[in-house]
Amino acid sequence: MTPPDLMLEGRVFDGRSSRPHPATLEVRGGGVTLRLEGGPETPWTPAQMQIEPPVPGLPRVLKFPDGSRFETRDDAAVSALEARLGRNRGLGRVRRLESRWGTALGALGVTLALVAAFVVFGLPALARGAAAATPRPVLATFDRETTEFLDGDYLGPTRLSRARQAELQAAFRRVTRAAGGGYDYRLLLRDGLPEDSPITLGANAFALPNGTVVMTDQLVALSRSDRELVGVLAHEAGHVTGRHGLAAVYQGLGLTLLTVAVTGDVVSAGTFAAAVPAALLRGGYSRAAETEADRVAGAYLMEAYGTTKPLRDILARLETGRRNTDESDVEAGEGGLGDLLETHPGTAGRIEHLREIEAEGR
Amino acid sequence: MTDVPPSVSLGRHAALPGSLLPAETADVPVTSVTTHAFSFTGQAGEYFRIWIVNTALTIVTLGLYLPWARVRQRQYFYGHTWLDGANFEYTARPVALLRGYLVVGAFFLAYTLATQFQFSGWEYVAGTIAVLFLALYPWLVMKSLRFLAVSTTHRGLKFRHHGRAGGAYASYGLGNGAALLSGGLALPFAWFLQRRYQVDGAAYGTARARFRGDAGEFYLIGLTGLALTLVGGVLLAVPLLGVLFGAGVLDVPQTEDDWLGPTFLIALAVGYLLVLALYGIAWQYVRAATLRLVLNRVEVGGVVRTGATFSPWRLVWIGVSNAVVQALTLGLATPWAAVRRARYVLSGMQVRALVPLDSFTADVTPGEDALGEAATELLDIDLGF
Repeated sequence: MTPPDLMLEGRVFDGRSSRPHPATLEVRGGGVTLRLEGGPETPWTPAQMQIEPPVPGLPRVLKFPDGSRFETRDDAAVSALEARLGRNRGLGRVRRLESRWGTALGALGVTLALVAAFVVFGLPALARGAAAATPRPVLATFDRETTEFLDGDYLGPTRLSRARQAELQAAFRRVTRAAGGGYDYRLLLRDGLPEDSPITLGANAFALPNGTVVMTDQLVALSRSDRELVGVLAHEAGHVTGRHGLAAVYQGLGLTLLTVAVTGDVVSAGTFAAAVPAALLRGGYSRAAETEADRVAGAYLMEAYGTTKPLRDILARLETGRRNTDESDVEAGEGGLGDLLETHPGTAGRIEHLREIEAEGR
Repeated sequence: MTDVPPSVSLGRHAALPGSLLPAETADVPVTSVTTHAFSFTGQAGEYFRIWIVNTALTIVTLGLYLPWARVRQRQYFYGHTWLDGANFEYTARPVALLRGYLVVGAFFLAYTLATQFQFSGWEYVAGTIAVLFLALYPWLVMKSLRFLAVSTTHRGLKFRHHGRAGGAYASYGLGNGAALLSGGLALPFAWFLQRRYQVDGAAYGTARARFRGDAGEFYLIGLTGLALTLVGGVLLAVPLLGVLFGAGVLDVPQTEDDWLGPTFLIALAVGYLLVLALYGIAWQYVRAATLRLVLNRVEVGGVVRTGATFSPWRLVWIGVSNAVVQALTLGLATPWAAVRRARYVLSGMQVRALVPLDSFTADVTPGEDALGEAATELLDIDLGF
């Protein structure tokens, strides 16, 4: 009898009891023989044998149709058998990647690069695409629900005179005609400090996805000219045409899914740990949206007045909260961690950006 | 729970019907109790390589490789868990997991989109999914337990879970409902019912497991957790407020502006973080103490008892410090954290057996699908002890 091509030493669990049996596995030509010490000898064909993919540091396992399980420490022999039978090609390659620090660090690099690229380019692009594809009736529902919610407790009826309201509405119509996009533009003038409101909005303006823009009396009071308010309204119109609100919703969803993919678990404490970077990223996205809306507003102001100064001044006044402030009172030099945590770019940075727009426009 | 074997003391195992074949146990002389320690042989560096390579592959394949990655990571943890010279094995097929992930993922996405966008008719979509989920939750738990058990092998023998849907609805449906209606008073009782359901349904080969704990022990854990939160909250808040008011940093808010002043907001944020940290610690304690309690109350086939000697407080420390390290490394320390926890838990776990561990026999096992497991993972349900 010719010597076997491969001979593996190990032990067998027969799948019927938890008792191990010392055993050998012989591969000879096209046949496989499992021989239990002092027990029966079973012939199998290679096709009947299932070779479990290798796991680092563990014995190799071969399984047979009768439920028996042969395990051996002879990894070299099992690997040779795998190569000969063409088994576990995919996971064999995975194992080679896992077994070296070089390839593992390569995988780390690929992971970090892809996650970073996805976070910086992919997710915003996907979110913009999804926001652009979201149908108008959905946007209208969004606006209606949010307005109803805010008008309940947080916003009161405006105290501005009818004439003043009409002026602002007319200015808003001019801004939205320039912004375009066919949204149901609506300017809601409201009191931002109604009595017994749980939180105070104060001097504020914001846009909802379908073109509803809310501006508070307090912001009107803070302004020194209508040009400043036009700048704010143009900024909000920029949020509407950029569909920034919707994109933010999709970006949040994408970040959640990404967190699950990376930590591999919704439950673990790792998810709580991952919430911190996710929050930082959200801040980053909304800073990008603010910059884009400022660009829209800057372009409109250059067209209408040839300067971006009104928006710069009211931004400075919103920052300090004092009516006698103008842009020169806001010092540059913010940045670092504090800037990273902000959802808006630093006011100094925004003013600088608007100055650049003005310089380019001349 | 009529199919649970009658309770017997450790010494009378041979009289226990249905756990071990009489012929098999008769061969084995019952002399003394042998203690076998669990051990975990995984290495953080080795597991890091597996984790990062499989994570990279998952990302490169846009998530399609995820089930393979998951199976491989679990195989590493099961395979490096040793008991009396033999390791455990995770045998689930990735394709089964993939199918489950796709089904559950579709429902999850539909629900999230419906609640986020509230398009017309969203209430019906979200409502149907929510009602379906609530109604199916106990059934999903049962399927998940069955899948997990049948995917676990030791010494060539499969574990099984024999839990029935009726028991799942009683312990998870009614148990959680009662906990909710009683304002948390019945919560430890629900934990007790759920752990008992999990353990009493489990089997290794033909040997059935039995849970020997009572509800009182769970109330003790629940009360300790509650006391931890309350006492900890007072101990932290009193000196903090004292220092802040004493130093004049913080003042009782007088006007509207004071309420929104930066110092007040910072104090509010610090307080919020403290509450969150305390809640996290209390929750970790409940988890660790429950794990230890359950392990000390499991008996298998009347001849084996599991035991745990690890300290729940040490486990709380490991959980909290792991979370901090993971946050600081943006999740890259996840493999290290997992290995660290497994090593500590398993180094404090034993089984005490009256018979050699190679005297168990198999049971025929029908196939289980992965849907239950995938659902419970994606929908944020904690089924761990």
